[in-house]
Amino acid sequence: MRALLLCLLAFSLAACTQRDTAGPPQASPTTMVAGAQNGGVAATAIVNFPNPGPFKLVEVNDPRYGKMECWQGRGESGQFGGTFRVSTFGGGPKTFNPWVASDVESSGLGLLLFEKLVDIDAWTGQPYPRLAKSISISPDKREYTITLRQGLKWSDGKPITADDVVFTFATIVARGYGNSSLRDTLSVYGKYPEVSKVDDLTVKFRTAVPFSPFLKMLPNVPIAPKHVVEPITKRPMEAFQGFWDINSDPKSLVVSGRFMLDRYVPGQRIELVRNPNYAMVDKQGRRLPYLDRFVYAIVPDQNTMILKFLGNELDFLDVRAVRGSDAAFMKQKEQSGNFRLYNLGPDDGTTFLILNMTRREDPKSKKPYVNPLKQKWFNNQYFRQAVSHAINRQRMIDNVLRGVGIPLYTPETIASLYFNKKLKPYPQELDTAAKLLEQGGFTKRGDRLYDSEGHPVEFTLHTNAGNSTRDGVCVMIADELKKLGMKVNYQAIDFNTLIDKTNQSLDWEAIVMGLSGSKTEPQDGANVWKSDGRLHMFDQRLPNEQGKVIVTDAREWEKRIDRLFDLAATSFDEKKRHEYFDEFEEIVYNQLPFIYLYSILDITAARNTIGNYTPTPLGVFYTPLGSLHNLEEIYFKKARQ
Amino acid sequence: MSIPVYILKRVLQAIPLLIIISIMSFIMLKLAPIDPLAYLRANPAISAQAIKAEEERLGLNKPPVVQYFIWLSNLVRGDLGVSTTGGSVFLLLMQRAGNTLLLSILTIFFTWMIALPAGVWAAVNRGQWVDKFFGIFTTIGMSMPTFLMALLLLMAALATRLLPIGGLTSPDFFERDFLGQALDLAQHLVIPVTVLTFIGLAGIQRQVRGNLLDVLRAEYVRTARAKGLPEDKVIYRHALRNAINPLITLFGFEFAALLSGAALTETVLAYPGLGRLTLEAVLTKDMNLVMAALMLGAVMLIMGNLLADILLKLVDPRITLE
Repeated sequence: MRALLLCLLAFSLAACTQRDTAGPPQASPTTMVAGAQNGGVAATAIVNFPNPGPFKLVEVNDPRYGKMECWQGRGESGQFGGTFRVSTFGGGPKTFNPWVASDVESSGLGLLLFEKLVDIDAWTGQPYPRLAKSISISPDKREYTITLRQGLKWSDGKPITADDVVFTFATIVARGYGNSSLRDTLSVYGKYPEVSKVDDLTVKFRTAVPFSPFLKMLPNVPIAPKHVVEPITKRPMEAFQGFWDINSDPKSLVVSGRFMLDRYVPGQRIELVRNPNYAMVDKQGRRLPYLDRFVYAIVPDQNTMILKFLGNELDFLDVRAVRGSDAAFMKQKEQSGNFRLYNLGPDDGTTFLILNMTRREDPKSKKPYVNPLKQKWFNNQYFRQAVSHAINRQRMIDNVLRGVGIPLYTPETIASLYFNKKLKPYPQELDTAAKLLEQGGFTKRGDRLYDSEGHPVEFTLHTNAGNSTRDGVCVMIADELKKLGMKVNYQAIDFNTLIDKTNQSLDWEAIVMGLSGSKTEPQDGANVWKSDGRLHMFDQRLPNEQGKVIVTDAREWEKRIDRLFDLAATSFDEKKRHEYFDEFEEIVYNQLPFIYLYSILDITAARNTIGNYTPTPLGVFYTPLGSLHNLEEIYFKKARQ
Repeated sequence: MSIPVYILKRVLQAIPLLIIISIMSFIMLKLAPIDPLAYLRANPAISAQAIKAEEERLGLNKPPVVQYFIWLSNLVRGDLGVSTTGGSVFLLLMQRAGNTLLLSILTIFFTWMIALPAGVWAAVNRGQWVDKFFGIFTTIGMSMPTFLMALLLLMAALATRLLPIGGLTSPDFFERDFLGQALDLAQHLVIPVTVLTFIGLAGIQRQVRGNLLDVLRAEYVRTARAKGLPEDKVIYRHALRNAINPLITLFGFEFAALLSGAALTETVLAYPGLGRLTLEAVLTKDMNLVMAALMLGAVMLIMGNLLADILLKLVDPRITLE
């Protein structure tokens, strides 16, 4: 009990505590204590359940449903029944309409309700047919023929056919109903693929040029029931926003996923109930899912979430619920709470430091976005390398993340399928950093560092306020850079203000931020890495009045990265793709436009009564699906009432 | 001036006041350097066109003055607009209003039920242990941050396993019968009501004690005692009756807070109330939702003051409505 109290007090006072622990290196006892406490969790090996191989297609003849083709579950046979209780962190979904959803919570709900045409295998990270039965690609690599399984039904009993698929891609997505980003993820060179129906169960996609990430992008689009959604698309476009919005009757949703929406209790929870028409069976041929109900509480505060789990009001805590500061404490409770912590390895998200390398001037005020003096420093490769070498990433992880993270040096984490293994991590080396600065034309006199023109090096570092982890990280960075003679003025600002700075005003010098990524497809980062990308944050180029981004001052290596992304997008040769992405990572490793710091480890906690929980590092989705990639096979070992 | 005329006058006075409040709130919200679409902008999966479409849908691309008049004209027609998160603001508020009302009414009930007798008791026994005990008790209540108190009670709930942790209903709430549902609600309400009562108690108990002490020194109390009235009658009929006026004003303020909710407590306890909804809306600059919540708060404050003034008139014949 006392440990819990201390732990909770620590959350509340997190900002102060972290300032303390992030002190000078002499404070090694703190480091040791923090490390020792958490060795338990971080040292736990990353989950490694054996790959059961691809799904098997079985034909089921159900007198009530007729003949249908089902995928067979890959786990052990379980028991039916029970209510699975989880929770998500935040304010709840903003809409039930998965095509409008642009936030994590609404998209997360969509994952439970809608089955994908093609999904990503949790073990291999490769696309496989889900609603579909087979996928074939034409020799010119531009045409995809996708055949649906036979006998599939919507939750209202109507058949799922090629018409639904064509309607989804040719009407909802192509015309830009709801969140028009779906269209962009599938487009290549701004051209959206053609979709056509071949027969009742077969559709054809044809891309403008060969586009290798195409199949990996398909899971972003939930397939819509044409008979329900089509009438809405005949009305003015705005009507689509209000369709299946948060105030609509949950039972009116027609879905294809494992569960149907049963009830939404605003601000409290979402209750889902088993979809009897879901076409998957277990090894004994029984229709999945095993669970009767899936209920997830909407909790605004992570501490409450953990307390609810410990109080046995939840069966499971998914990724991002257990933070570094909670992990050690949770580890102690494993026995008494009858649960186990799982380490899923590094998250796909990255945390990094960026220096504003923009060299242009504001077209309106005719003033440079960044002080020309500082532009020179930030654009000096030696300067960026020195900063990177001066940062003690491991100590950051020990102190701020309490050991639950791994140091990061490249845009792809070690969990990524495309991680370049040749790029070695380096420890904090202040001597190397000092030498690099000398090579870059900087000189240190006394405690301060001066550039070649004699100006003292001083800049402002921002991060978003209210995030105690990033707060601690920034204090540590400022402290380390002080040893090189740089004066870093750290100031936390509101998240929205921060985004305005990076996206619009460009009035910033250094920022610590995070971005989500993908472990299976680096192409997801094109928005960040292409020189005209919308999140090319280290040198953001703004759209002109026509909304076009015109790049006039790309550096040689930026152009090379543009080219590498284009090459990788159009190549189907996996070996070649690896080479392209390896080169991209190497450029970033050397040029350091993003100075990567760390990735957190994904930790989950599951009650020991849960059967078939086999999380994998690649099978992590938006919560509440989260690491439950085989949710249909999850069961209670002793079905609870 | 008769009471109905007085009410009408006050209502008419309130209209320009509300307009001024709305303009000030709108300006302050617009001045805040918060971009309601920041979360979309920081998401690599969202395209520039999607963001532009969202700006147009929410009218964020229009000048602020135009935005204000759109909002005002919608309001006059009884339309509170849509939230940036989708869904009508009116329905969002209605969903939460009941929960907040439940919490506020229970809190006010318990606060006054405890504060009144405790204040009287402390005043009558001034300087004795009862008075000192309440002195310490209310000092803790006044100085303790609500979120800390809420967290401590949550941990107590976890340790004892007697009470549920956060929320308002259990997952099987809708499968229960009426009695079961009432019991479930009651269990969930214990912690939030305790937190808010404990915090609210402090001010009112002290106010009761202070006022009563003032009155007890008055000459008419001495007279009452001198003519041999029993002490009970002296205190409850003569003293308390005269000490109650400032409390009615306080009650008016409490009424105003009926629908404001307690954002921090609600957030820590995962309570689905208006306070949490408003806090989330402020943080994401959900203009229509924040404006609606602020206007609701303003209306409740004006109504609370009006109610207090009328109650004062009814309680104290010396007061004239002018």
